[in-house]
Amino acid sequence: MKLGVVDFLDERFDARRVAKEFAEHRVPDHVNWLYCFGGITFLCFIIQAITGVLLAFYYQPTTDAAYRSILMIMDDMPFGVMLRSLHAWTANLMILMVTLHMLRVFFHGAYRPPRELNWVTGVLLFFMTVTFGFSGYLLPMNQLSFWATKVGSEIAGGLPLVGHYIQAFLLGGEKISDATLSRFYAIHVIILPITLTMLLVAHFLMVRKQGIADPL
Amino acid sequence: MDNIKTSHSTAGQDHGHGEGGVPFFPDHFVKEMSVMALIFGVVLFLATLMPMPVGEPADALKTPPGIKPEWYFMTVYQMLKYVPKSAGLVFSFVIFPPVMMLFPFFYNWYTKYRYGRLILHTIVALGVLTAIFLAMLAYLGFE
Repeated sequence: MKLGVVDFLDERFDARRVAKEFAEHRVPDHVNWLYCFGGITFLCFIIQAITGVLLAFYYQPTTDAAYRSILMIMDDMPFGVMLRSLHAWTANLMILMVTLHMLRVFFHGAYRPPRELNWVTGVLLFFMTVTFGFSGYLLPMNQLSFWATKVGSEIAGGLPLVGHYIQAFLLGGEKISDATLSRFYAIHVIILPITLTMLLVAHFLMVRKQGIADPL
Repeated sequence: MDNIKTSHSTAGQDHGHGEGGVPFFPDHFVKEMSVMALIFGVVLFLATLMPMPVGEPADALKTPPGIKPEWYFMTVYQMLKYVPKSAGLVFSFVIFPPVMMLFPFFYNWYTKYRYGRLILHTIVALGVLTAIFLAMLAYLGFE
């Protein structure tokens, strides 16, 4: 008996050819283990997306409830400790890996024309990953969260001319409050995931189109 | 065979349709999956043996002793101790990101000079070492 699904997709989307091209595209011989950091960063992002959504089911983004909801995740939610710890460890690993990936690309000169735009999206992805870290750090509303955000926003507030506005925008006022938590939450679970995913798609499409750069 | 070699090495940007290298599937795919399994194992290991503590609840009136930023902010944090604050901030947030983002567009200009790329790569390598050094100082609590 023939499997109808493949034929169904093939007739409509030319699926066999697309899959064949993807499977058979050549990976150059000079690719070695240093080339794995980008892929690991992507794996980290997938782990973050899954564990993040599961944490969001239970997390409550108000200053009153946030800390209690973390306690609930840690004490009562099945596999809660595992989920939250995975999310935190993978966040650190993701920032480390995106940094190593960027250094690898730089010292291999893979940013050179015609791949400038992929470098630009990569740098944006790097800054977004770090912003992910900063925004996620406040969410548990523990002492570390609070003071890291306070110090961080004060540092941003030190910028000449615009510092005060940036600080007020970050905090949603003069000090850390429900407004701060709400916007950090919105940045962490809506704005960054959407924009980062779009840039990631562009990043990958460009790599597919242009191939892996030759070594210097 | 010679033909194939030449066309591959002169392509500059092999779109992955050439004959050199190995096919993505299964050769490369198996390696990628192995690395992914390994990394997933590492984070599972870390999360199991070193779970994230909940910490004390936030208290605006109780400054904890020795607050330090996360490791990836330590370089900037430490640098701001040594340079005038506004200069350090303008460098870190206004000058550095666009330069980092846009320098490849000047590739043809700086490679006109014989050691252009070597000089750039050396500067960045020294910058990376300095960044690691500053982060270590911050970690050790140097003022």
